[in-house]
Amino acid sequence: MGTNQTIDSRVFVIVRAYNEATVIRDVLRQLCERFDRIVVIDDGSTDTTAVCLNGLKVILLRHCVNLGAGAALQTGLTYAVSHGADWILTFDADAQHRVEDALAILKLLQSGNCDVVFGSRFLGTTINIPKTRKVLLLVARWFSNRMFDTRLTDAHNGLRGFNRKAAALLDLTQNGMAYASEMLRQLKEGNMIIREIPVTIEYTDYSRRKGQSSLNAVNILIDLIMGRLMR
Amino acid sequence: MNFRYFLLILLSTFFLYVLWLPKQTLIRKAFVLCFVAGMLVFALNPDLSTEIANYFGIVRGVDFLFYLSHLTLFFIAFVYYLRFREMEIRFTKLARQVAIDQAMNLDLRSPD
Repeated sequence: MGTNQTIDSRVFVIVRAYNEATVIRDVLRQLCERFDRIVVIDDGSTDTTAVCLNGLKVILLRHCVNLGAGAALQTGLTYAVSHGADWILTFDADAQHRVEDALAILKLLQSGNCDVVFGSRFLGTTINIPKTRKVLLLVARWFSNRMFDTRLTDAHNGLRGFNRKAAALLDLTQNGMAYASEMLRQLKEGNMIIREIPVTIEYTDYSRRKGQSSLNAVNILIDLIMGRLMR
Repeated sequence: MNFRYFLLILLSTFFLYVLWLPKQTLIRKAFVLCFVAGMLVFALNPDLSTEIANYFGIVRGVDFLFYLSHLTLFFIAFVYYLRFREMEIRFTKLARQVAIDQAMNLDLRSPD
């Protein structure tokens, strides 16, 4: 792959956005340089996020109301699978991720040795990560690994890659942030091979402001427990 | 004593109301009727609640009813949670389908 070459059209990049008008255009410009099929899920934004995308080579899907990160991801996956995607990458709209990392994930996916690739900030680098967030993520990591018998270092990272088989398998019903654990469960039950790759996550003032509250971890835990009971 | 009569009238009215509700399912109607009938029995014969309480190792009948009402409320909350989840999942699927059906290719729109 040359540096200015775009990836083939069987690769879809899903970008979830909720009130990201400040940064999303720059993020998508970078992605557009390398990827041909970018699907933006506007999760009921009340700002000018959708208007900011005019003229960019992206496909916009709009939720009529804000449903949550899990619902937006599932919408993107459903769209991509039904439109012939062979490899699907997920990328956050708040400028925390790097396109080079997405390309590395794609390369590993296309090698055919795994079905899913998770980017891991704990194998790679985190820039300006708040201490509370780090502790919270480590607790979530311990919890997920215990619950699903995995050895992952960062299952809650938004930078991920799926092959078609893994994406088609997923049927996320947790609309909020608890989707990450639900996804892990479904992937494990489907015997998908999951790999991790080091990535760099940069916490900017903007992303720290936008990020979820640490107290939301309690809500996520309740969602998970209830979801587990409901099965 | 006056309160007891008031409670009896209230429960009886509720009993009859539920009995004649046309849109309730049979199971839901039976559940509510059993609950109201139970309350009526306990209101008419308060010693019965004490006897049952003693059987479960609880001293006072009123404590037994207190625990029972907590369990009932928890059950009702759980049932409504299930219904809420089901509706949430349906609504999400609907919003998703609308979003997919109305997907827009933005490079076809005028650039900024």
